[in-house]
Amino acid sequence: MLLTTTPYKITQKEKLAPETYLFRVEKSGKNKKKTDKKNNEKLNYEPGQFYEVSVAGFGEAPISVCSYSDEFIEFNIRDVGEVTHAVVNLNEGDELWLRGPYGTHYPMKEMLGKSLVIIGGGTGMAPLRGVIKYVEKHRADYDRVHLFIGFRSPDAIIFKKDIELWNRIFDLHLTVDKADADYKGKVGLVTKIVEESGLSADNQEAIICGPPAMIKFTVMALEKLGFSHSQIFISHERRMKCGVGMCGHCMISGIYVCKDGPVFRYDQIKNLHE
Amino acid sequence: MGKVLEKKRLKEFLKKVSKGKDLIAPVKKGTLRFEIVEDLNDICLEGRPLFPIKKFFSPAKQDLMKLNLADKKKPFEEEKIRIKPRVIFGARLCDFNGLLRLDKLFNSKEYQEDYYKAARENTLLLGINCIPAPSKYCFCESMSLEKYYDLFFHDLGDKYYIEAGSPKGEALIMNLEDYDFSIPDIKCDKKLDKKDLAQYYDNPAWSTENDKCLSCGKCTAHCTTCLCFDVFDELEANAKIGKRFKEWDSCQFLNFTLVAGGGIFRKDRLPRFKHRIYHKLQYFREKFGFDMCTGCGRCIEACPRLIDFTEVINNFK
Repeated sequence: MLLTTTPYKITQKEKLAPETYLFRVEKSGKNKKKTDKKNNEKLNYEPGQFYEVSVAGFGEAPISVCSYSDEFIEFNIRDVGEVTHAVVNLNEGDELWLRGPYGTHYPMKEMLGKSLVIIGGGTGMAPLRGVIKYVEKHRADYDRVHLFIGFRSPDAIIFKKDIELWNRIFDLHLTVDKADADYKGKVGLVTKIVEESGLSADNQEAIICGPPAMIKFTVMALEKLGFSHSQIFISHERRMKCGVGMCGHCMISGIYVCKDGPVFRYDQIKNLHE
Repeated sequence: MGKVLEKKRLKEFLKKVSKGKDLIAPVKKGTLRFEIVEDLNDICLEGRPLFPIKKFFSPAKQDLMKLNLADKKKPFEEEKIRIKPRVIFGARLCDFNGLLRLDKLFNSKEYQEDYYKAARENTLLLGINCIPAPSKYCFCESMSLEKYYDLFFHDLGDKYYIEAGSPKGEALIMNLEDYDFSIPDIKCDKKLDKKDLAQYYDNPAWSTENDKCLSCGKCTAHCTTCLCFDVFDELEANAKIGKRFKEWDSCQFLNFTLVAGGGIFRKDRLPRFKHRIYHKLQYFREKFGFDMCTGCGRCIEACPRLIDFTEVINNFK
């Protein structure tokens, strides 16, 4: 059936920032048994993919996974729309209905041995958290890992606990666009911090996720550092209503972002017509 | 070699082939529309209905699930799909070629939409040839349509020459008299001068037609192959029960590309207009090797401003 959705149990809910929550869900009840029989009880998703998250009476919305695990899925839910508003009103023990995973993922296995530059802006950090969790588990597979993370203000910072850890194990640059004078951290656009980093493009792969304007300027910053477009991977935001390439909403130049993306290598999509 | 049927025996023939099935044909009640035929005398083969047959394969509004918010364990109950077998009579080659295109989206190897698939499997396609072309906006002659049908009727004055395009079709006309005839190709006044559109994307000529656009979405509603849809949840006044349904949407609407937070990726009409035309004539072709447009001309005829994309393309130098 078109848009068949299955229940998952909410096992953790954590407030990350104003109006922003981290939800962890696991397979539940019938759903778990059914998959057990098929001997396929583990979850199978990759960083960069998304699920269609559903609340009866409110609708469905595409949400990126922000975890990497075969036991659970985590979603960063920001209360900005009808569906996300209904989701943030759910609690541990409630059921969340999902379809997925859908879409392409960041090609982590093709980046073996490379240094990674991971650049995120705001809620765009959600899919990148999945990438970084992957790297944590496969640390030996990669060379150096540089994180550039930007938020619009200090109170918009999400994944604080993760950031503390990443600061110890990776080369991390956290910045906010604007802050009061008493803010001790770095202030400035993340694109600028990338540009000033002086990173060499040799043996690097860049992974970007954020608002369209942030992606555009980050690509320009990377160009200045000598990166070629084939070294850059981005995730496109579009209205992925069905997730299976039928409803038409996410199409750009004949490409379905839900199926052919949302993760793209930049040189393959830079010349698309909106 | 095909068969022949005297016109006075048509009703009897249609009655026989549609026994136990719904018969769908152009019916003249006010405007000419494809409808389930209640009285065989209502069938009208003059002109072609401005609304295509797609609604019988993917309805304008289709319930997907019943919602019951009180039942926490099972808030969704999927609607069962029931398609009564049907016979479509009196549709044209452009209509049936539209189905070949929609098959790529709704009934591919990769993904089958159950309603569409069931509707396709349960529908016999009885077409009629367009001599002469039924509308001055028709340009299917330029679109290399396939001879795709179960049966195809050609008007010979007092009788129809009928050709089968499938074993199912052959079985329907087995008992009719053999007849030797060769169906002529459809001729249209209007032409589409096909070009590689990639080089014309930034051509200012698009604006001259686009400037008339009202973003009303009639072009996509009438298109043989436009089936973009949105999905909604709707609750009754008690806010406990309701339904999830899909409904046709249009890429010509401002909010088609709206995302959470208010971002809209095609804010201006011009990229929306070009998106429609490029999808029909370039993007789809790149993927599947043939155009999505079938040249039915309905988008031009239905447009309140008679916006004609063929003029734009034909005039590109």
